[in-house]
Amino acid sequence: MKNLYIFIAVLFIPWSFSLAKYDDFEDGDDIMEYDDNDFAEFEDVSEDTVTESPQRIITTEDDEEEATVELEGQDENQEDFDDADTQEGDTESEPYDDEEFEGYEEKPDASHSKNKDPITIVNVPAHLQNSWESYYMEILMVTGLLAYIMNYIIGKNKNNRLAHAWFNTHRELLESNFALVGDDGTSKEATSTGKLNQENEHIYNLWCSGRVCCEGMLIQLKFLKRQDLLNVLARMMRPASDQVQIKVTMNDEDMDTYVFAVGTRKALVRLQKEMQDLSEFCSDKPKSGAKYGLPDSLAILSEMGEVTEGMMDAKMIHFLTHYADKIDSVQFSDQFSGPKLMQEEGQLTKLPETKKTLLFTFNVPGSGNTSPKDMESLLPLMSMVIYSIDKAKKFRLNREGKQKADKNRARVEENFLKLTHVQRQEAAQSRREEKKRAEKERIMNEEDPEKQRRLEEAALRREQKKLEKKQMKMKQIKVKAM
Amino acid sequence: SPLPPARYKPPATETNPALEDPTPDYMNLLGMVFSMCGLMLKLKWCAWIAVYCSFISFANSRSSEDTKQMMSSFM
Repeated sequence: MKNLYIFIAVLFIPWSFSLAKYDDFEDGDDIMEYDDNDFAEFEDVSEDTVTESPQRIITTEDDEEEATVELEGQDENQEDFDDADTQEGDTESEPYDDEEFEGYEEKPDASHSKNKDPITIVNVPAHLQNSWESYYMEILMVTGLLAYIMNYIIGKNKNNRLAHAWFNTHRELLESNFALVGDDGTSKEATSTGKLNQENEHIYNLWCSGRVCCEGMLIQLKFLKRQDLLNVLARMMRPASDQVQIKVTMNDEDMDTYVFAVGTRKALVRLQKEMQDLSEFCSDKPKSGAKYGLPDSLAILSEMGEVTEGMMDAKMIHFLTHYADKIDSVQFSDQFSGPKLMQEEGQLTKLPETKKTLLFTFNVPGSGNTSPKDMESLLPLMSMVIYSIDKAKKFRLNREGKQKADKNRARVEENFLKLTHVQRQEAAQSRREEKKRAEKERIMNEEDPEKQRRLEEAALRREQKKLEKKQMKMKQIKVKAM
Repeated sequence: SPLPPARYKPPATETNPALEDPTPDYMNLLGMVFSMCGLMLKLKWCAWIAVYCSFISFANSRSSEDTKQMMSSFM
């Protein structure tokens, strides 16, 4: 801050020096009078130069953007000067008493113009002119803002149209499969709103519920940020597409325990790094699905081979092959807890909550340049979702698979516990200390000396018991070791 | 195969601020910084950038945010 003030102060000095130059032309100005006192040395100079050309007095107002030059009719009386002063507020009252002047109005004169020629017409600097050119910066900026606003409105409307086109196409299928289509959580009773829930200008939600097997299905239409001009420009460099994300939450009894994903290789690599469950249960790199007839663009991440075998039935393969270009990723997981949480060290004391989930991410065709008609091509994908729900319910691991799955889950939990062992120990330790402290305080605060003594004795006895227990344990361990 | 036990109510969608796009907040902050700069140092271009920042922040904002806050950031 101090530097800032110094900087501003430094800026002021040359600025005020530049003002002094005006002394040549502005004698008797209200402001110039002030300056005259400060820069008295210039005053003599100005007087000399002024007397050289008695026919002209040039005044400029430097505060306002208008420059006017006036010749005053000067009488010998100061009163005239005063009148002139009160009229204009910026006229000079310099010693031209002897000379008579006629009131001329000359063209605007520059502050830079030398006082040599009697009449010089000089260009007024830009900041003093009153024409459009001097505002070119403002005009540019405002035009930019207008462009931004226009893009905002156009983009917002396009996203809106796309969303409703999608919904109109899918409405029938959804309504035939789900009892509740559309809910925003605000109404007391569960009634279908039958409408999309707009989260912001590029994200629309739809909650569907009331079907066997699944608790509910949340559909998120994640459009590109067409309403933000910056984003539009960025997308010209790096094309991206709108996405439809569908998250089906399964009932606990309706899905067996497995983790499985299929999708584009790029998407799977990313998910394997980001998603908690995929990174823990699917240790191998994404494998090619060519064995099952899948196109090369798709890969598979699976907890165990049996799951892949079970998942890749004819119909699923048909879906995946036919709509491979629209599929970004499909994830079935009983240990789904979302992306890995970035937690500070020492805070992680509990495993994140998991829910049995089927997660689908589809890319809308058109890669940004979508039209409402493209939404129809996504309808078969919704059929795939419905089919997957039923399939997930039907698919059960055999005994071997179940054993493996249980082992995996136990292993993951154990690893986690080991990791946080130290932290949990510390937490337990601090809790014990807190208890002790609280007890001590209670004893101190106890006013009755009798009671105090009794409490102290009780505390002592407890401590002794604990010590004894520990000693017993140590003895037992020693015996076992032997 | 429709219509069996109807289940209700959506979970509050994504109340996980860590996952959300930070753009509107950054733009808000930048806008304030630039407007302060423009005011203190009397640089017009700073003020213009601040206006742009607040527009961008508004365009990217989540619907849950106050319109009052938007308006104040515009100022």
